Amino acid sequence: MILWVLAFAVAAGYICKVNIYEAFASGAKEGLETAVHILPYLASMLVAIHVMRDSGFLEKLYGLMSPAMGFLGLTEGVTPLLLIRPFSGSAALAVLSDTLAQYGADSRTGLLASTMMGSGETVFYTCALYLGAAEVRDSRYIIPVSLIAWVAGCIAAGFFFR
Amino acid sequence: MNRAFFVMIFAGFTYAVINCNVAEAAESALAAGGEALETVLELCGAFMFFGGITQILERAGATGAAVGLLKKPLRKLFGSEISDEALGAVTMNLSANMFGMGNAATPMGLKASKLLNPDKRASAPAALCLLLVLNSTAIELFPATVVAMRYAAGSKKALAVVFPTLISTSVSCIVGIVLCKLCERRKSR
Repeated sequence: MILWVLAFAVAAGYICKVNIYEAFASGAKEGLETAVHILPYLASMLVAIHVMRDSGFLEKLYGLMSPAMGFLGLTEGVTPLLLIRPFSGSAALAVLSDTLAQYGADSRTGLLASTMMGSGETVFYTCALYLGAAEVRDSRYIIPVSLIAWVAGCIAAGFFFR
Repeated sequence: MNRAFFVMIFAGFTYAVINCNVAEAAESALAAGGEALETVLELCGAFMFFGGITQILERAGATGAAVGLLKKPLRKLFGSEISDEALGAVTMNLSANMFGMGNAATPMGLKASKLLNPDKRASAPAALCLLLVLNSTAIELFPATVVAMRYAAGSKKALAVVFPTLISTSVSCIVGIVLCKLCERRKSR
């Protein structure tokens, strides 16, 4: 399947007279930069996650969130991702990576977490950045609406992996 | 994020003290950096692979095609009050987002935000609210990073999340738009 994607991209690029070798290399460079960029965040986030897990706090949090997650049709394993996604993209990637390692990428939790990761954004950061550029101080309903939409997307993800 | 990090560490620390397993928690906290490095090494290959593919498609004119397709529906959505220049920036911003090109999307988004608040009002105008909600509900056609991470984690069906992601991101996007319109209507009454 993945080879098909590659073949399609290369063929499409070739037909459109793109310098495909050059383009692929420059994309790979971006990919590498992303990987290097998230390393320190991943390390910081993992420290926090490990401390929470090994102290028993995460278990307690799962217990508290469990009824709510069940109500939303989600598993308790995606609790950290649900909570961190609106705050930081790098942190969310770290949490996703940890979730996939803990539960397995093809488990229900792994599939759910992957889908959730792709259907949300860092609400708070984007807002701060864009509103700052527009010199707006009052964000009105943006944050609550975005958060409700995020949870709605998560519920939709839950329907796929029952 | 600063506060979130504080809460996470402090909650963990408090629990470690209560449960008397400080040493255990400390050991695993120290191991976290190495684990992060291993994960990133595994991720590198997949990230570079998908980065390369995305770049080829981008140069083949994928964003340009999306701009053409999105322009009319977005004009309907944003109404006739916003300028053509602002609409252009909005369209570019959202198209770049659709292809997961965060680097290209942000500058266009910043430009669009400025253009959507021409009078420099302190309270966000409706069009700006809509742009932000659309940005934070992230319509991404192909979640390359997530798929790359799934490969790195040894998934047998890494692509199984592509279609569900498309549907759930559409759901969050539609919910976002509807809520925006409702909020505006309530205000204008």
